[in-house]
Amino acid sequence: MAPALFVDTGSPVHRLNPVTKLVALLSILVIVFALPQWWTSAIVVVAILVPAAIVARRARALAGIGGRILLPIVLVLVLVQGFTFPGGRTVVWQWGALSLTAEGLTFALNTGARIVALVLASVLLVVTTHPGDLMSALTEHGLSPKFSYIISSTLQLIPSFRTRADGILLAQQARGLAIPRSPLRRVRVMLPLLGPLVLGMFTDVEERGTAMEARGFGSTVRRTALEAVPDSPGQRLARWLMAALAAAAVVVPLVQELL
Amino acid sequence: MIELADVCYAYPGAERFVLEHADLRVEPGTIAGVVGASGAGKTTLAKILSGFIPHVDGGELSGSVVIAGRDLAGLSLSACVRQVGLVIQNPFNQISGARYTVRGELAFGLENLGTAREEMADRVTQVADLLGITQLLDRSPYELSGGQQQLVAIASMLVLRPPVLVLDEPTSQLDPAGTRMVFGVLSQLRESGCTIVIFEHKLELLHAHADRLHVLAGQRIVASGQPGEVLADPRTDEWGVGATRYTRTGRLARDRGLGPVAVPLPVSFDEAVGFFGGGPR
Repeated sequence: MAPALFVDTGSPVHRLNPVTKLVALLSILVIVFALPQWWTSAIVVVAILVPAAIVARRARALAGIGGRILLPIVLVLVLVQGFTFPGGRTVVWQWGALSLTAEGLTFALNTGARIVALVLASVLLVVTTHPGDLMSALTEHGLSPKFSYIISSTLQLIPSFRTRADGILLAQQARGLAIPRSPLRRVRVMLPLLGPLVLGMFTDVEERGTAMEARGFGSTVRRTALEAVPDSPGQRLARWLMAALAAAAVVVPLVQELL
Repeated sequence: MIELADVCYAYPGAERFVLEHADLRVEPGTIAGVVGASGAGKTTLAKILSGFIPHVDGGELSGSVVIAGRDLAGLSLSACVRQVGLVIQNPFNQISGARYTVRGELAFGLENLGTAREEMADRVTQVADLLGITQLLDRSPYELSGGQQQLVAIASMLVLRPPVLVLDEPTSQLDPAGTRMVFGVLSQLRESGCTIVIFEHKLELLHAHADRLHVLAGQRIVASGQPGEVLADPRTDEWGVGATRYTRTGRLARDRGLGPVAVPLPVSFDEAVGFFGGGPR
């Protein structure tokens, strides 16, 4: 089983210090929320995320994972906001009592674009950053090793969780469990599978905790690293610039409003 | 030297003691096998020997646990870790997930204990050489077979250089090849002076590799001795330990009037050859 969604292609994006990528993600988060117009998010996606994914040779993974996460969210957003937006007056399509309004669609576009940018930026971080490197880099920057392990291990537990869920589902299907086509009925059928899934994960977590403690994870001495995570003055500068850009995205509109 | 004296233990909130007045003595540089039925308290004893009880699991522990002259009760968990390495059943769950090569995985414990980078690299190379896993160093731990992953787990402990290694059913999830690999490495480690306590169900392998065998039943160690002596004891079924296939075959043969009466029941292949090879029937 793969340790996570990370695949090392050795690209320049992979080689970036994980903290640089994390700061980029946080800056994108701040910028797209501070500047709520859809085109801000579109620029982030088109000018930064897609080229970065291509350079990282992980564009297909970004599209696949991002698509699976985003498609239902965007669909629900468009339908709910398009038809029920409170301030919607300009009807663009009507079916019986249901009216699709331009205002609702604009709201869905602005919100959806931000979600798309955020999800794609997060997926790009995950597919180009090994959890271990992220943990080392965060620890080097003063974060508690336990906290950084929680972040990194959460990323690597996703495939483990999926494998276990598949195993439980297969075992239940072998005993005659039929998976209905209807999504609602499928959810109802799947709910009882959550018990063994969660209990199994608890056992895993306990064993993992024992194994980690046996290797001195609870030690309070200052940690060292076998291999230093690469960093450079250029990246340090880039991190400050990104933070400054994010701050500007918050401050400038406020100042403009005051003036 | 490992010395457990009059150890009693109950898990937090439990009314029943898992261990009561248990005593165990293991000489340095030897392999001690501990056998017992499922639920006899093997994992509990392994955790007591490695300091996880009471440091992590809590509970009510009395008696003394002395490893290399130091009472574990007076040590912190990270000090216990330096004294005793613990290897658990599931090789997959022992992978930290925090490193993407076996080399990084082996260094993980050393990093946690603040070892200098040059020393870390040396120790990793030495342990990989010792266990014959040098060719795996640059591979992902997730790509290895179960046996190889368990060797990596053992190496991850050995790199910390604990004088004692405790293994809790380390081959229960391995195939025969992986199991042989692990036992081969344990014999090698004994030669290098490491004291090993292994909790196992595979009696024939324990007979072949362990110096002494201890039986855990009824909340205490009820028998200790040479593996051949212990496994030939007629009470093994009563203890829930079972018997080797050679002992079972010898017993069946004797019940049907086929085996020699004066010769003790065989435990190993060699003894079975002698048992069936001659003597009065």
